Amino acid sequence: MSNLRVLLLLSLFLINIACADKPYVDKLLLNKITDKYKIFAKKRFFFLQQTLDSVKNKSDLEKLKAVNTFFNEVRYSSDMRIYKKKDYWATPWEFLGKDAGDCEDYVISKYFALKYLGVDYKKLFFTYVRSSKFKEPHMVLTYFKTPRSEPLILDNNNRRIFPASKRKDLTPIYNFNGDLLNKIGNNKQKSHKKWDELKQNIQRKKI
Amino acid sequence: MTLFKQIALMLSLFLLIILTTVLILNFQSANKGVKERLYDDAKNTATSLSLSLGSANGDLSMMSTMINANFDSGNYRNITLVDVDNNTLYERKMESETIDIPEWFFHIINIKAPIASANVSAGWSQVGILNVQSNTDYAYKQLYAILIDLLISFGIIAIVGLMIINFLIHAILKPLKEVQKQAAAVIRNEFIIQRNIPYTKEFKDVVLGMNNMVAKVKAMFDKGNEELKAHKELEYIDKDTQLKNRKYLIDRLPQYLKVDANSKGGVYIIVALNGMKEANEKLGHQDVDNLFIEIADIFRNGSRVFKNCIVARMNGTEFSLLLPECSNEDAIELATNIYNKATDNIKEYGLNTDETNISLGLYEYSHMNTISQLFSRADNALAQAKFNNNKIHLERAEDTPEVMGKEAWKLIINRAIDKNRFHFISWPVVDNKTKQLVHSVLSINLFLDKNTSYSYAQFMAPAIQAGLSSKIYQNIVHTLFKTPDMVLSASTYSLRLPLEYLEEEGTYHDISELLRANAATLPFKLIIELPDRLVHQDSMYVREYEKLFQKYNIDIGIFEFIGESDDYQYLQDLRPAYIKGESSYFLTQSNQSLSALRLITDSIGISLIAVGVMDMETLGELKKRGINLVQGRVTEISEV
Repeated sequence: MSNLRVLLLLSLFLINIACADKPYVDKLLLNKITDKYKIFAKKRFFFLQQTLDSVKNKSDLEKLKAVNTFFNEVRYSSDMRIYKKKDYWATPWEFLGKDAGDCEDYVISKYFALKYLGVDYKKLFFTYVRSSKFKEPHMVLTYFKTPRSEPLILDNNNRRIFPASKRKDLTPIYNFNGDLLNKIGNNKQKSHKKWDELKQNIQRKKI
Repeated sequence: MTLFKQIALMLSLFLLIILTTVLILNFQSANKGVKERLYDDAKNTATSLSLSLGSANGDLSMMSTMINANFDSGNYRNITLVDVDNNTLYERKMESETIDIPEWFFHIINIKAPIASANVSAGWSQVGILNVQSNTDYAYKQLYAILIDLLISFGIIAIVGLMIINFLIHAILKPLKEVQKQAAAVIRNEFIIQRNIPYTKEFKDVVLGMNNMVAKVKAMFDKGNEELKAHKELEYIDKDTQLKNRKYLIDRLPQYLKVDANSKGGVYIIVALNGMKEANEKLGHQDVDNLFIEIADIFRNGSRVFKNCIVARMNGTEFSLLLPECSNEDAIELATNIYNKATDNIKEYGLNTDETNISLGLYEYSHMNTISQLFSRADNALAQAKFNNNKIHLERAEDTPEVMGKEAWKLIINRAIDKNRFHFISWPVVDNKTKQLVHSVLSINLFLDKNTSYSYAQFMAPAIQAGLSSKIYQNIVHTLFKTPDMVLSASTYSLRLPLEYLEEEGTYHDISELLRANAATLPFKLIIELPDRLVHQDSMYVREYEKLFQKYNIDIGIFEFIGESDDYQYLQDLRPAYIKGESSYFLTQSNQSLSALRLITDSIGISLIAVGVMDMETLGELKKRGINLVQGRVTEISEV
């Protein structure tokens, strides 16, 4: 009888482990990031995981706010300075590892973090905009609650989330969601050149 | 299939497989490239058009116009705009259009153009998604052109490649051709020594091996030739007088005493020297031998004017002169001359002509006589001569009652020639060892009508007398080639052609024309038999005939062989299938000369055939001497 009880407890324990949530960054990758970017980087990823875990069961809006706030803490820096390239889309690990990036890098990291939190990817778009304040091309992450509703803007310049109508300084140019296009098109490998490169880098776990 | 063909086939197949594989891979890569290009084009259009559509601020009519403008100006199969709920807002589709490529290509390639998509927005809000699919016509056309280009260039490469392969194999296998030539020559019993030793090791070994073998066989032949020549001296020549001996005469006589002999007859003289015992006692051996030599010179000089005559020493004191085509008057004159000169010589030596003298028996022989008739009648004449004052006696031929007069024969033969009345008959040459037929010998009968026919022996003598023998042969050679079915029952036939016919003007041309027209369709293998007397002289026209027969794959046989040549090289040059000799010839040869002959014939693959084998006893004797191929009456009476 006692044997049966032990067996039952053991199986319950195993089920519990199996059902435990996967971390945003797995252990193996985290070790590599630590090797490359040292202990502070590891701490940043630890805080990211903590932030994500804290809003795991909250509404989309709570998730948006937490993610937006967390990543907006990262320093802005041009691709030329970091990567010696005119335009480069960094993976979330490079972005947080180096603790620096330009507008696309913020958008990418926010997008994948939200996707991890279970926000429907069809609601999220990479939006090319023109900033009248800086008079230069810019990119923000937009969140559409429904396809026809007014989007919320997650920007790294203006750190708070505003509906689109409140952001008179931004002129929308082009919306784009790589996952969505991949899903529609019959060519799984190709949808958007920059997006395709990014996906490849993520697959290779580029840090 | 030759080695060359096998290697050529293998390499060609290999080349073609490689080329085809490369062609297919090339085409597949082109196919993939074209398909990627189709997607990239569609993607570029989708992105740029979706940006333009953004400026329409969601106005469908404006967006439709933009899509129309794009669709009409480019090469698209389909452009569709769907809203966020996946409802179609606007769509343009290309109507089917015939393109200028073959149907089969269309079915085999079957390109499915990929669809490229882009998000469309108006300001901050979503409009939907734009799907663009390129038109495949251009891709088909391009791929078809690529395929044709590939086929042409690979075709050229294949042709050049095959030519190079052909050239290389020829170069590599060239020594093999030489080896093959040498091997074929060995089969034909020709002795070719190859001087160009090939570089390739395998070929080199074969060539050296064959050279070695050929050299040995040639040495064997030369040895046989030397030995036979040496034995001929011993066998046929009288040592003291250097005249021919009795054996030679007997071996040669069958050629003179036969129905179709060249000469119808002449005079045969036996000369006996009497009282030699007394001469020996008076003069001693040395001087008597000199006397013999002088008297032999008298015979030799006296008979020189007679073509084909034979002067032989029969025994210690008897000589004989066979004088074909010699009249009785000429013979008497010659005999008188000989008598007078010999008597003078005897006197010069101081001998008494009452004791030591010569007597001459003359017999007017006919070619129809047998050897024993010839000898006994000549002996009779000699016996008679001894009693005559002048020691000369001529025995005339009996007037054999002629069945038909010369004119009657001439008429019959001419009629037979005109009406083709000569029919073939054949008798066998058999192998006594295996009891099998070797070949059949053709002869002819003259069928005048249903009841009357004459054998070769009957009509040939009058025909020769009338000078019609060549005409008869001309007639039967034509019959043989033009209606060979007449004789068809065995697989190999031999036909004797006499000297007169072969030498006649026009015969060569006639035979070569007949061979050119009919040799290929002859339903049996033909062997032409030529007399040894003609062949061993190695004359110009023998070589002409030899070349002619060789060209049409007709073998040559030699008949009436008695081995009287000075050199047997002609056997190697002519390479006859067989040599036929009288059975008596083979039986009277010494073991040494027969084995020398065998050495020659075995080294170049010539069979020996004994003809005129009449009884089982002779057959047994021949078998003991290793002569197994026989022709003659014995083939009818024995189980052979």
